[in-house]
Amino acid sequence: MRGVVIAAVVAAAFAFAAQAGGPGSAPEPDGLWRGALAGYTPSTLKGATVVDAAAVARLVDKGDALLLDVGPADRKPETLPETALWRPQHRSIPGAVWLPGAGPGDLPPEQEAALKARIVTLADGDLRRPVVTFCKPDCWGSWNLGKRLLGWGFTSVHWFPGGINGWLEADRPSTVVRTDPDWEAATKPPADR
Amino acid sequence: MIKLTIRAAALATAAALTIGAASAADDAAEREARWSDLRQSVFGDRKVEQADLLSLDTPVRAEDAALVPVTIQTADPSAIKSTTLIIDDNPSPVAAKVTFGPAGDPSVMKLRVRVNTYTNIHAVAETNDGRLVETTKFVKASGGCSAPVGASDEEAMKGMGEIRLRVRDDVTPGKTATATLMIRHPNFSGMQMDQLTRAYTPARYLKTIKVTYNDKDVFTLDGDISISSNPVIEFGFRPDAKGQIKVAATDTDDGRWEKTFDVPTQSN
Repeated sequence: MRGVVIAAVVAAAFAFAAQAGGPGSAPEPDGLWRGALAGYTPSTLKGATVVDAAAVARLVDKGDALLLDVGPADRKPETLPETALWRPQHRSIPGAVWLPGAGPGDLPPEQEAALKARIVTLADGDLRRPVVTFCKPDCWGSWNLGKRLLGWGFTSVHWFPGGINGWLEADRPSTVVRTDPDWEAATKPPADR
Repeated sequence: MIKLTIRAAALATAAALTIGAASAADDAAEREARWSDLRQSVFGDRKVEQADLLSLDTPVRAEDAALVPVTIQTADPSAIKSTTLIIDDNPSPVAAKVTFGPAGDPSVMKLRVRVNTYTNIHAVAETNDGRLVETTKFVKASGGCSAPVGASDEEAMKGMGEIRLRVRDDVTPGKTATATLMIRHPNFSGMQMDQLTRAYTPARYLKTIKVTYNDKDVFTLDGDISISSNPVIEFGFRPDAKGQIKVAATDTDDGRWEKTFDVPTQSN
């Protein structure tokens, strides 16, 4: 019990320390980040190229980049009246595949396997295919996905920390997307992180 | 060879431009379809006219997506019974319905809302003769509904229900005066996550804000999770020679708060 409390305090202190420095200030963890997904990330991802909206646009224009959005799905509050409209809209880069809930460092093994299988299929089995991972600013989800892709042997991984906000702020076109159906089937009930 | 490359580049540029233009058009069409669907859900088969009854003032690009100022104005206040504010692409799009009473003046109303993604905002007035009239503005902001309120929930809830009112103009009987109402309330959207515990804070938001002047209705606002925390509402009212403004608010957890303010009239 006491150990748990101490561990929680240490985790909280660590999370606080990671928050303290500002965007991009966190050190790169050795493996996947297993803490809260919302929070300051590193500004680098060893083995991957960090890209901004203009670089993503160039990759999109070349036509073969795979865009993977791990932005969270809007979570429906439990206490909304039944009559209230609930119509969440997830805006993303046109052509992106939306994989909500694929960001946590501690994904269940079967989900991680399904995620890998899905992405390899999307890349037509070509591990040299340029891949861009993104969500929103200060979000570890896209960092983790980039880290996973590198671990799976992808050789052209691009991490876009500005995410959809950075894309929209650059006045790039966007569109409303639905969850990737294969990923949705693999993660039922729908992930809400 | 060089010529060919230039031509290829020109073609590629042309293609990229076409794609860009096409998706902008698609985007506009998607937004229109979305609005038509929403309009149907909120107002049924009733016709919603586009006329110059209301005007909506919003920043083109919001500084803070959780605090986007919205001003709704009309040149014909006596025609308006109620105004519904709809943020098309917010998960819960109907932000507020404001119903005006005999002591109210719908000429100007200002409030602050959360905007979740780049979206159209619609204000729809219902007139006293039963027409619906809309106006719209596009706002660039994202993440407003899930942005945390303050450092902790505990801090955000400090002083909850505290009501303040500032009458901005000299109050002359029979002439519309403007007041600013401030209510301390986190207006938790239910989409905000505690950074440390990774738990979602349950939704708890102001359901009704009712303002009366000498027991006559000024306005009643039915709110939702898109209203910013610590709501600040500017409104017009029609004062008598002497009077009191009463503010009564309720929230979704059965919280009830009430406060009465004396409104001194200018003595001249």
